[in-house]
Amino acid sequence: MPKSRRFFNARNKRELLLPALFLAPAMAVLLALSIYPLIYSITISLQQQTAADVSWGLGNFTRLLSDNFFLTALVHTFVYAVVALTCEFLLGLGLALLLNEQIRGRGIFRASLLIPMMLPTVVVGVVWRLMLNSNFGAINGTLKEFGLNTESLTWTASPKLAMLSVIAVDVWQWTPFVFLVLLAGLQAIPQEPYEAALIDGSSRWQTFRHVTLPLLKPSILIVLLLRTMDLLRVFDQIFILTEGGPGFATETISLYIYRTAFRFFDFGYAAAMSFVLLALTNVISAVYIRLIQSEPN
Amino acid sequence: MRPALSLFLIFLVLLASCTQPRKQLTLAVVAGVEGEALKQAAADYEAQTGVHIEIAQFPYSNLFEKELIDLKARSRAYDLIMLDDPWFQRFAHEKVLTDLTPLLQRLGQSGPDPDFVATSIALCRDPYQTGSLYALPYVGNSQLFFYRKDLFEKYELKPPATWDDVLTAAKTIHEKENTGAGGEKMYGYVMRAAQGNAAVADFMPIFWAFGGEMFDASGKPTVNSPEGIAALQFMIDLGKLSPPGYASFNADDVGAHLLQGTAAMSINWPAWISSFSDQSKSKVIGKMEFTTLPGAQKSGQAEIGNWLIAIPRDSTNAQAAAEFLVWATSAAQMKRSAQRGNPPTRKSLFQDAELVAKNPAYPAQLRSLESSRPRPRTPYWNEIENAFGIFLSKANSGELTPADAMNQANAEIEKILQRAQ
Repeated sequence: MPKSRRFFNARNKRELLLPALFLAPAMAVLLALSIYPLIYSITISLQQQTAADVSWGLGNFTRLLSDNFFLTALVHTFVYAVVALTCEFLLGLGLALLLNEQIRGRGIFRASLLIPMMLPTVVVGVVWRLMLNSNFGAINGTLKEFGLNTESLTWTASPKLAMLSVIAVDVWQWTPFVFLVLLAGLQAIPQEPYEAALIDGSSRWQTFRHVTLPLLKPSILIVLLLRTMDLLRVFDQIFILTEGGPGFATETISLYIYRTAFRFFDFGYAAAMSFVLLALTNVISAVYIRLIQSEPN
Repeated sequence: MRPALSLFLIFLVLLASCTQPRKQLTLAVVAGVEGEALKQAAADYEAQTGVHIEIAQFPYSNLFEKELIDLKARSRAYDLIMLDDPWFQRFAHEKVLTDLTPLLQRLGQSGPDPDFVATSIALCRDPYQTGSLYALPYVGNSQLFFYRKDLFEKYELKPPATWDDVLTAAKTIHEKENTGAGGEKMYGYVMRAAQGNAAVADFMPIFWAFGGEMFDASGKPTVNSPEGIAALQFMIDLGKLSPPGYASFNADDVGAHLLQGTAAMSINWPAWISSFSDQSKSKVIGKMEFTTLPGAQKSGQAEIGNWLIAIPRDSTNAQAAAEFLVWATSAAQMKRSAQRGNPPTRKSLFQDAELVAKNPAYPAQLRSLESSRPRPRTPYWNEIENAFGIFLSKANSGELTPADAMNQANAEIEKILQRAQ
């Protein structure tokens, strides 16, 4: 029993001193840059600024429920995440399977596919904003060359097409990442199961369904987890492409949080929204992590 | 070694404190032509007086938050700050600015120079026009109406005095002038209706001319009045003659259409005027005319958009800052700023022969500025403008009818005001 007591005996104290000394700077940095801001943001999320003074309570959180802008932004965030994730996953998987085969020019394809991912998001946003410009942009310019009427194709300016446009840009930029992780996963699969499947006379689809997919599952889950977390907090490319517009058509939670904090200067409400986003991201991530851990390895 | 080292450090500290000039000021300016002029003035001032001026420059989109965070945290980071006038009410409301009157009195002035345009100096007072003076106006922007003189002459249209004239002219040009200068389609009008500042800035002059008011006398929002809805309907009608996608246009899109000669009219800010005579950008050299805003039920009024300079309440060098402020906004110094491309805020400079020769639109600019209106003076303007802009943009992109848009905007504005109480 007196293990804990022994832990604090004189000799151990001396032995503990050194590790504690080494840990101290890291702890100090953590305290100053993570723990303190976290506690501070919790306190301000519980404060409401009124004309006269500050009141404490859950007012910021109850306000969320009656805030149409917040609820709409929440829906947009999920639509954005689900559609983009589905497209990125299917395209990324297809590309990874294709470029895992021995095809000519494989190296060039693999390298060029990675370019979008290497560009800064802001640059991608600006380039696409110019390309999607309905009057002077390259996309409508090309379509016009083919004799199409582009009058109604206003892309980021149309309430119907704006969400699709920003999702398309995300898919363009981040499919390569999904592709890269899945390709690495595919290459880590040993040859033996495939040989066994071949001997058993399984079809290509059966091999994919019963050999490739189960063995690729850990990579799939990891890439889905990483992309989900990124998609839920998407900010930069939408900020550049549409700034949330037209109207409110592409406003996501991160944009609304930014506006609330730095334009309206309501840090308490912005902090409350950030915690809701954090909680949602955590719940979804926990599901993924549970799935990854349940893998029989 | 150790004592030697600490002695050396003490020596360094002493040296640093000795070489530091007696007076030092820190100035927060906006990136761009307005801030550049003030930066130049600061360099000249330092050369003349020896007062060292430190410059902190921020892009427009960050300036508001940087300044307000620093002032509220009382970090004393700045002795002078540049403010866009719609922000002023927020700063005044937070009580983070210095009352300038006592400082001016110590410099032998009873108040701001009467040469300042009245609408500009009114922005610097809290409450508006009547209260204490917390800033001085530095750059005197107000909206102007831009139109293609050559096309108006070609189709014998009268210069746009009312919004009905504008609509008629836009229709005529839209129908008869099929192609723009570069062979692209020609549009009768171009406006910007991206949510936020853009949509609101292009809408307010129409709203006011139609008799709309954002608040009634008791401060309740009234944007959904019949006048307000009619004004929005008019904006949408005019939008049909605007390039497609204008519901997401910002100032640069509007500028591009005018410079490319693909649109005939717009509301815009004076900063664009010089680009129309720039050979490398403009396809419409000598074809643009600038005038005051059209009217309707009421006479036309432009939105004012001045850059102000204020002194934070916690500045430790308020008097030195005031000396620089008075110097930088003096007629002689503001003339140099005007030569760098910034509209002045002094009547005498709008009438200065040398400046008028270089800026033929100055008489129109002065008329526009003198008759201009500020955006509603409320500390919650950023939030209100955001909400209002979203619904204006939605109506212009066809998502909502004008009446629905205005009713929803009114409800949101009411919510914002209630929360603030």
